[in-house]
Amino acid sequence: MSGPVLNLTIHNDLAEISRIAPIIDAFCADNGLGDELAHAVNLSLDELLTNTISYGYEDAGRHEIQVDLSVASGGLTVRLRDDARAFDPTAAAEPDLDADIDERAVGGLGIHIVRAMMDDIRYSRIDGHNLLTLIKRAGA
Amino acid sequence: MEIRNETENGVAVLTPVGRIDSNSAREVEEALLPLFDQPRPVLVDFAALTYISSAGLRVLLLAARRSKATGVPLRLAGMSKAVDEVFKISGFAKLFQIHADRAAALAAGGTG
Repeated sequence: MSGPVLNLTIHNDLAEISRIAPIIDAFCADNGLGDELAHAVNLSLDELLTNTISYGYEDAGRHEIQVDLSVASGGLTVRLRDDARAFDPTAAAEPDLDADIDERAVGGLGIHIVRAMMDDIRYSRIDGHNLLTLIKRAGA
Repeated sequence: MEIRNETENGVAVLTPVGRIDSNSAREVEEALLPLFDQPRPVLVDFAALTYISSAGLRVLLLAARRSKATGVPLRLAGMSKAVDEVFKISGFAKLFQIHADRAAALAAGGTG
């Protein structure tokens, strides 16, 4: 059974993140997914794409990133595919959330936010590409 | 992005409008951090902010460090549900003095 899908191709420019945000908001609204789910997905994509675009490429060239959304059982599945260096966010260290102002590190916070926002995250590296699947269940 | 910068009741009030993400965080950083060079308390009013990512949290952490180093109080106010959620998930809520809205923050006084 296949539901509505949204296929986006962006390039490695941070400005792309705010460009696709309203497109994703509209897709979620059209499919009755609600503002909270739309926020969770947009924030997670922002954190992941910011990492990839800022730190993932060893050259200064133009790279494409595929962002595919599909609706199933009232929830949303997001698939990301890029040719950046291998990076498995599911294996990243958790930040210390109890550290005070001076000791607090911001590195790792983005991935922590993604883990908190999403119900399931799966990573694989295939043919020189990072493939990441994010699952957000309805009402979860 | 649009960032309003005013003084009210002797408090420097910064109001970022729209989204703070990795693309706009730098502008907020450049507007916010110099406010700690003056003795007035600083209030960041989030009433017109719809979205913040970890790039925005980084800027607020830098502001908190500047506040601690200079003794210039920093207050936050007017968080939407989405912004509040990001602060809570990140463990940032406990690092700041957060008020319901601008009026409450201005009335708070005190040192922090």
